[in-house]
Amino acid sequence: MHVAVKIAGTLIVGTALGLAVTWFVTGRGGMGDNVVDGVWKTSLVTGSPQSDPYTRARVALHGLLALNRNETIYYTATEDSDGAKLDGKCRYDIQGRDPNARWWSITAYGSDDYLIPNSGNLYSVSQTSVRRQKTGVFQIAVGGAAAPAESTNWIPAGDGAFSLTLRLYNPGPDVALDPEHAVLPALKKVSCP
Amino acid sequence: MNERAQEWVFWIAATILVAMIVHLGSLYILPRVVMMRAFDRLGAVNAMHVGRRPTAASRAIVRPSPDIVYASCPYDLTKGPLRVTAPVIHTSYWSISAFDANTNNFFVKNDQQTPADSVELIVVRHGQAWPKLDTAVERVILFSPSEKGLILIRAVVDDDKHLPAVEAALHQARCGTVASAPKLR
Repeated sequence: MHVAVKIAGTLIVGTALGLAVTWFVTGRGGMGDNVVDGVWKTSLVTGSPQSDPYTRARVALHGLLALNRNETIYYTATEDSDGAKLDGKCRYDIQGRDPNARWWSITAYGSDDYLIPNSGNLYSVSQTSVRRQKTGVFQIAVGGAAAPAESTNWIPAGDGAFSLTLRLYNPGPDVALDPEHAVLPALKKVSCP
Repeated sequence: MNERAQEWVFWIAATILVAMIVHLGSLYILPRVVMMRAFDRLGAVNAMHVGRRPTAASRAIVRPSPDIVYASCPYDLTKGPLRVTAPVIHTSYWSISAFDANTNNFFVKNDQQTPADSVELIVVRHGQAWPKLDTAVERVILFSPSEKGLILIRAVVDDDKHLPAVEAALHQARCGTVASAPKLR
């Protein structure tokens, strides 16, 4: 084989391989996943100039213009407590108490990283909109085709893969320092059609 | 090892080397490319753009929060320093932040850290002079790591009935090069 062909082959295959690796490592893990707290994953360096090139690239793709962790911690869930991918056709249950932060919200996003269209324009549940039991515990139904009872917190999630972002605005100091051990709501699958 | 095997090892090693360079290079430019694309979508530079409360139709920036109204000012400091003035909303979480061309969040201040009713940012490059302005508001001088960047204001809408007031306050925010910025008084 002519040497020019070998050089061309090396460049083409090498470039394709390099781009494939970039695509692979930035396509997964949401905005960084080196901190794991139950189903919720986050990164300590999101938004900060100390961010490594991998986290920075992922945040650019999946959470552009995210704030640093003292201001906001963004936890992402892409799987349920059994490790199965979240699917909008299934019904999930989020249960917990208010996390330690000034304000929080839980929002569902489609696999394209945008809000999921639905007839009621329901996209999120927040500290101010959530309905709580007398004990302070709240339950949020996520996904499933039909809306649950009127009095239930519900975030519809389309009919395909989705993910959830839990935002903690001005997290308490213990959460900001140790986001791996923050007390966060639990997420588990209830049923699938 | 025979000659043929040696040659194979050489070309495979060369391919892996090219792959590594392309991988690291693409990883390096990816945030900049994403930021420039966002830049083009957000509108004119050195001007404040107040968005609508995000819905499923909002596709300018990934993963917008439906509980927040955003105002943004893509800036370019080649024509001089940037001046941003904004009312501070104290009824719920509010913050003003700055991002460089590499997507880094290099500045953020929230309503609890800003007791004043309004805030003024002067954004400059290192070595760039800024005019001494005589205004009585809380002023922050910001050194931008890059010529281009983005100022982003977030205001949480914790109740639908607060939406009009939040939007009205955001619409009072201004952004422009210092020469063209309106006088505050």
